[in-house]
Amino acid sequence: MILGLDVGGTQTDTVLVEGDRVIRATKTPTSDNLLETLRTAVDVTLGDLDPGAIERLAFSTTMVTNAIMQDQMEPAGMMVSAGPGMDPAWFSIGPSYHTVGGCLDHQGYEVKPLDRNAALKAVSRIRERHIRVLGVVGKFSVRNPLHEFQMAEWAGDAFLHMALGHQVSGTLNFPRRITTTYLNAALYPLQKQFSQALVQILDEKALSAPRYLLKPDGGTLELGKSDTLPVRTAQSGPAASVMGALALDDCKGTTLVLDVGGTTTDMAVILDGVPLFSPHGIKLGPYQTLIRSLLTHSMGVGGDSEIRAGRNGKLKIGPLRKGSPMALGGPAPTPTDAMIALDLLNVGKREDAVGGMIKLGAPLGISDKAMAQMVLTAMAQRIADAVDAFLYEINSQPVYTVHEVLEDTKIEPTSVLIMGGPARHISWYVGNALKLPYRVPTHYDVANALGAAVARVTTSVTLQADTERGTVIIPEANLEKDVTPRFDLDQAVILGRQVLEEQARLMGAEQETLEMAVTEKQLFNMIRQGRITGRNIRLKMSVIPGLIPQWPRR
Amino acid sequence: MIKAARKTGLIFFPAFDWAITPNHPEREERLLYTQDQVLEEGLLDIDGIVEYRVRPARFKDIQRVHFCVPDEAAVTTESHLISAGGCLVAADAVQKGEVESAFALVRPPGHHAMRVVHGNRGFCNINIEAVMIEYLRETYGIRKVAIVDTDCHHGDGSQDIYWHDPNTLFISLHQDGRTLYPGSGFPEEDGGPNARGATVNIPLPPGTGEQGFLFVMDELVMPLLQAFGPEIVINSAGQDNHFNDPITNMNFSAQGYAKLNARLRPDIAVLEGGYAVENALPYVNVGIIMAMAGLDTSTVKEPNYDTDYRDQPAKITSYIEQLVETLRGRFLAETVRENPGEEGEVVERSRDIYYDTDGIHERQHEKIRTCSECAGALSIASTSNRGQHMLAVHIPVRACTACQEIGHAWFDQGIKGPFSHVYLQDRVNKVYRRAGGNA
Repeated sequence: MILGLDVGGTQTDTVLVEGDRVIRATKTPTSDNLLETLRTAVDVTLGDLDPGAIERLAFSTTMVTNAIMQDQMEPAGMMVSAGPGMDPAWFSIGPSYHTVGGCLDHQGYEVKPLDRNAALKAVSRIRERHIRVLGVVGKFSVRNPLHEFQMAEWAGDAFLHMALGHQVSGTLNFPRRITTTYLNAALYPLQKQFSQALVQILDEKALSAPRYLLKPDGGTLELGKSDTLPVRTAQSGPAASVMGALALDDCKGTTLVLDVGGTTTDMAVILDGVPLFSPHGIKLGPYQTLIRSLLTHSMGVGGDSEIRAGRNGKLKIGPLRKGSPMALGGPAPTPTDAMIALDLLNVGKREDAVGGMIKLGAPLGISDKAMAQMVLTAMAQRIADAVDAFLYEINSQPVYTVHEVLEDTKIEPTSVLIMGGPARHISWYVGNALKLPYRVPTHYDVANALGAAVARVTTSVTLQADTERGTVIIPEANLEKDVTPRFDLDQAVILGRQVLEEQARLMGAEQETLEMAVTEKQLFNMIRQGRITGRNIRLKMSVIPGLIPQWPRR
Repeated sequence: MIKAARKTGLIFFPAFDWAITPNHPEREERLLYTQDQVLEEGLLDIDGIVEYRVRPARFKDIQRVHFCVPDEAAVTTESHLISAGGCLVAADAVQKGEVESAFALVRPPGHHAMRVVHGNRGFCNINIEAVMIEYLRETYGIRKVAIVDTDCHHGDGSQDIYWHDPNTLFISLHQDGRTLYPGSGFPEEDGGPNARGATVNIPLPPGTGEQGFLFVMDELVMPLLQAFGPEIVINSAGQDNHFNDPITNMNFSAQGYAKLNARLRPDIAVLEGGYAVENALPYVNVGIIMAMAGLDTSTVKEPNYDTDYRDQPAKITSYIEQLVETLRGRFLAETVRENPGEEGEVVERSRDIYYDTDGIHERQHEKIRTCSECAGALSIASTSNRGQHMLAVHIPVRACTACQEIGHAWFDQGIKGPFSHVYLQDRVNKVYRRAGGNA
């Protein structure tokens, strides 16, 4: 059996999976204490079951997101080497941020050595403030990590933990590398504490199976590996829904996935079983990071959204949630009240829900039933408008080759899969507004927890070889080695695969077959004075998100 | 988050799968390191810098500008259409008010492509700025346009296209034609009979540095723009005046380009030449993007700036001061715009044009009707050593009745004449025709 859990804003969903069946599904309130929430949810779900029968546990938590939003992070010192370009002072982050002289160019050649005295001075300044964690970042460190290694070496063992920029991601973006490295450093003590406490809770319950955390890219990471890479587990909720969709539906064609929750609705697109990725890293509150993520959009409309009558009779739904629906004693009418008034749902005091609809409908001179239908139509229309904007954004992504411009592939959903608590009652309205065939899968209300339960390990690597410089580098794996002038694209792909597989095992991939994809593949001849002097090879390879082999494919 | 003072559109099209030939400077890798630098700087994350997706231009966008021999398909590839289309995306973004300015960082370039196109000249087939300008005129009713060409090579294609147009001020700053391809661009080349003074060439001596370029901007270019009063300013932003450029002899820098851009504040900048792909373009482009967005560029420098950049010698400074004084006298004095010909007189000229990339020799005979009301009807008879013998008739935007009539008459005569192809570009009625001649 597999236990999957997804911590939401108000409720925590947990499922137990056996074979291809969800044998138990529970909802427990999410409290301010995350560990207590997890403990309770696991207790309630397990009941008197034998903990020895659980062979895998996977959690989609809000640990990192909450720590960032509530600013509970440990202050981290930062040491940054930049060289010419945008002023690195603009990216200052944390209480003790220092720039150190030194420069690498875009191909990773050292233009100016790192200023050792300045680095040592920065270290002592940071130490003076009793800061325990340090982030070191160099511009173009993904092309050559030399300066980051030097900064780390000179910092010695003065710190509890050091986060190195090039290990975050192989993607070029110095400001985001700084931010992500800072977060990895600042979250380290908290994540470590969290993972240890969670291990203790699970051990106490004799749940000794492998434990995983879900990531925003729809993959998992072994709990023990998360300490040094905490940001990779941030904001996994939307990915949990997408993986749930994949588990419950074959997702053939172009499937729009909608997860309608209490406060928000998340959307994503799946192309023939493969979810679309965001071209940029995930944004966490004010922080733009390099963390890979599925392409999802969250909008402030859900079953518990506040409804207000705007001018000229137009309804405003969300983005605020004022509390429970009126039927449950809440202060303002909500789409859930509309569903209750239409007898689609039997929860709480029906007369209070109807009262809300009557109050909304009176100025318009329409009945409570007509009002309730109008509410659901308006809610569906808001979702459809947001979907249009989301698709427009996807289809406006720049492309950089003649081939892609001419191919001009446009993402246009062929059907919509609707999940989340209100899914069954809103699906007809949403399908209508989108003018798309719609489906509501089984277990639509705990799809996110199921998604966490059955998602496999993912990881990705970025390879760059420069045969003129004679090097190949895969920053995520900390690999840097010499290559001969003959090193070619085929050899690069072989090396990439090998390293990717090692990384996946390191992140906790077990028996699963690793489905790998080359997501970027470029080869450029480097020419000087009309002669080819080397090859510049660039690869991005990843283990794509998918389901563990225990969960049968539909 | 960093915020741009001016909202700026960026149209990036590196054409990673297109080259003229595998070893040609205009090849796949050209903007690779620029992309690396732009991405690593995080420029696309700046609030107020918006990246756009390119679209290909259509043949009809090209027909407003060029006479392609024998036709558009024969002298363009998809990449030319996309590069020109990138400029159209920039134009739309600015005209629709989505951004205040835009930079089309696209390849291949265009400023050596003339009105008649037999093939590739100076790496250019299609004049992407001109395609954009005529699209702006057609779509948004723009009338007065200024082009400031800061490529190291004289923008002879743009000069040719706008030679007779009094509503397009074409200013080119370049390395003196006595020392560099294409060997033209002298102050005496100042426009056709209907547009005298609307072409301004500023040939600069080899070795001109930041000081010289910025002096020319302050003392000549900016006053010229002010006097002309354009509705829109285009920068043909070639980047080969750079001190690291291997095929030119100038001494400009990323700092300099950024400062030039900050002074000029172009509505749209379009990449032209520049082939120091590793040690100039990445920094110049970062400088231009930041300057357009109104950001402080004082920290943008090439890694070898401190060791390799030298101020221009005093000799060059005084030469440029002298040149600017002469040109101010010539172009900023009141007496410039007299038409030499009599109203209605047809003025003729002949010239030879060489297409270095494709090795084509072209001979042109041109007729322009002297006109004070419009840019004048224009006819070009052109013969190439590839056996083409064509006649092209251009009736300009807002042409007067007399010029329209003579233009149509020329075309009708041409069809009966000894030409392989006869073209009509009637901008008034938006009629673009290609007929077989009587050859």
